[in-house]
Amino acid sequence: MSVDATMLLWTEKYRPKYLDEVVNQKDVVERVKQFVKTRNIPHMLFAGPPGTGKTTVALALSHELYGENWRQNVLELNASDERGIQIVRERVKDYARTMAIGDVPFKIIILDEADNMTADAQQALRRTMELYTRTCRFILIANYSSKIIEPIQSRCAIFRFQPLSDEDIAARIRFIAEKEGVDLREDGLKAILYVAEGDLRRAINSLQAAAALGVVDEKAVFRVVGRASPVEIREMLHLALSGNFIKAREKLRELMIAYGLSGVDLVRQIHREVFALKIPEEAKVKLADRIGEINFRMVEGADEEVQLSALLAYFALFGEKLRGS
Amino acid sequence: MSAVATLWVVKYKPRRFSEIIGNKAAILEFRTWLEKRLKGANVENAAFLWGPPGVGKTLTVEVAAIEYNLELIQMNASNARSRLRIKRILGMASQYLSLVGGRRKIILVDEVDGMSGTEDRGGLAAVIELIQQSRFPVVLTANDPWDPKFRPLRDLCKMIKYDRIRVTTLASYLKRICTAEGIIADDSALRFIAQRCNGDVRSAVNDLQALAQGRRRLTLSDVQWLAFRDRQYGAFDVLKNIFSAKTCRGAKAALASSLLDYNMIFQWIHENLPLQYTSAEELAEAYEALSRADVFLGRTKRTQAWTLLSYALDMMTAGVSMVKKGRYRFTKYQFPQRIKILSQTKDVRAIMTGICAAIAEKCHISIKGAAFEYLPFLRIIFESNTEMAAGIARWLKLDESMIAFLAGSFDKANEIISLMKRRRST
Repeated sequence: MSVDATMLLWTEKYRPKYLDEVVNQKDVVERVKQFVKTRNIPHMLFAGPPGTGKTTVALALSHELYGENWRQNVLELNASDERGIQIVRERVKDYARTMAIGDVPFKIIILDEADNMTADAQQALRRTMELYTRTCRFILIANYSSKIIEPIQSRCAIFRFQPLSDEDIAARIRFIAEKEGVDLREDGLKAILYVAEGDLRRAINSLQAAAALGVVDEKAVFRVVGRASPVEIREMLHLALSGNFIKAREKLRELMIAYGLSGVDLVRQIHREVFALKIPEEAKVKLADRIGEINFRMVEGADEEVQLSALLAYFALFGEKLRGS
Repeated sequence: MSAVATLWVVKYKPRRFSEIIGNKAAILEFRTWLEKRLKGANVENAAFLWGPPGVGKTLTVEVAAIEYNLELIQMNASNARSRLRIKRILGMASQYLSLVGGRRKIILVDEVDGMSGTEDRGGLAAVIELIQQSRFPVVLTANDPWDPKFRPLRDLCKMIKYDRIRVTTLASYLKRICTAEGIIADDSALRFIAQRCNGDVRSAVNDLQALAQGRRRLTLSDVQWLAFRDRQYGAFDVLKNIFSAKTCRGAKAALASSLLDYNMIFQWIHENLPLQYTSAEELAEAYEALSRADVFLGRTKRTQAWTLLSYALDMMTAGVSMVKKGRYRFTKYQFPQRIKILSQTKDVRAIMTGICAAIAEKCHISIKGAAFEYLPFLRIIFESNTEMAAGIARWLKLDESMIAFLAGSFDKANEIISLMKRRRST
């Protein structure tokens, strides 16, 4: 196991460099290894939940293909950060102009969070992909393959990444804890698994932040994740449902400012959290419907804080009705 | 002088005529009249100093008392002005020399336009009587002496008009105060204060103290929020009128008749909805109306079809007002937090984006993703583990403001930064 001591965020420090080190995803890894062996890869689409190794596999694959010079042959783009498809095309064009260095006849372009691109942008991307097929291979990374348009899907080999099992995550967390000399307690590990929900990145970040406090036990882990966003979003929803609108709105402002979350980010998180709430199932459907309407209004360009406040006010009313019934 | 905070208007109050700024001609006119009056020459028994507030009318009389060694007998609008009272106090003072050292007196009836017809019944007549009988000079002051009820007074008095203090004069006066207080102030900042005080020295000095006390330096941006404060002032009334309206028309008129910007009122409504409506049902309905207003506002802006604006205004006034189930409930409104927060956090946002961009570069994640997946954890690490934080800060190449942001306190940030420096030097 190669460990780069200068990388101080553990998610990076312990990111596998080679395909064999990748946690689980056996099927994906086996097939990708075949590509490396033949020194030829198709365009690929990696789809799966966050923290399951999509980016890691893409990077490890690059590393195995090109060796230590991999960075010269790989362009990493993030669809969420690049401003518009125009920029993506420009960067791809510039990059694809030159030939690959070494014995592999193509370069790799990793486009992360590709499902955040609009359908129009994806159409444009498709043309770009065709244009540079001779010199470049694309690895598209997405949480949902269904959000990638058909024409792109049909040009890609699709790999589905499974949520990691608790055993896989536990093994990795124990390994890192041992390397870092962390006093990891059994209840601490359990707590990490609980909050990670199959997301290894989240598990490792929780471990590192809890280790920053000292002994990693259940208390430390919950202290850490109590400050992380989803828990705070849940807390905000509980405040609203219990009728404490003003406190809920304070929490909302805190989340938007302290974490820099956009309204659309938040509404998506709220949508996710609603289904974890302890309320009747049919109530969840009603709330989801409302969230959808608010999301639509925001997409139309309305003010995010006002829209989310309106949503919280609806939650407050809803909570009152639930208590009354 | 006591160590307790002193009002600068008191601390820097002129004690000599030469120290009073502006209205030189008026003051000269007053002194000429006063000197003649003290000598018993044939002049009016009283002087009536009139003009806008804070330009030195009362001050002129106070300084005269010092310079001519007169005992100042003073009454102002805050005193009850029954005829009896005026007669007793002023009557006594007008007939006898001061018991203390036999000094002559000057009698000041301040703010006569503050006398109301009913409460000060007979007060005016008493003042007239006083002027006619007093052995000592009587001075009246008022902002507006042209009320018909003052007519008999005007006929008895030497009328002296005071003007607003010019901006340049006022600004240089403020500058002298700043110098005395050891504050370096930009001229533009002082001019700004002077301008908005409309020639009122007292309010200018008060504003200056509020803004400058405890500072070493005063710049234009330090004072500009004053303008903002003034503009916000009317919002309380607009809000009350919107929420208390009984009809749609009334609610709409409350906004239409105010000079305030509808975007600003929108923020005020947003802030105060939960204070106005404490029942969940009213609140949800009101917020739904505001949400719709917001949607219409967005469409108006996007399409530039300004005819759509009226629907937005309907929803944010009538829409939020008509949801009330009972009568209007008095509410103590508050200033929109959001405007405050936004201005405070503009820099913070830039810092945060910088941190997330650094993470995004190193950790194969989007900037937004970094905010969500890493930032909360980094904050905990930076708050609680100096050693780990220093390593991460170096690795991510964070600057000092970013470290301070994550650490949450300057003390912690300094610990981290000095550890980084120690490591670099070894």
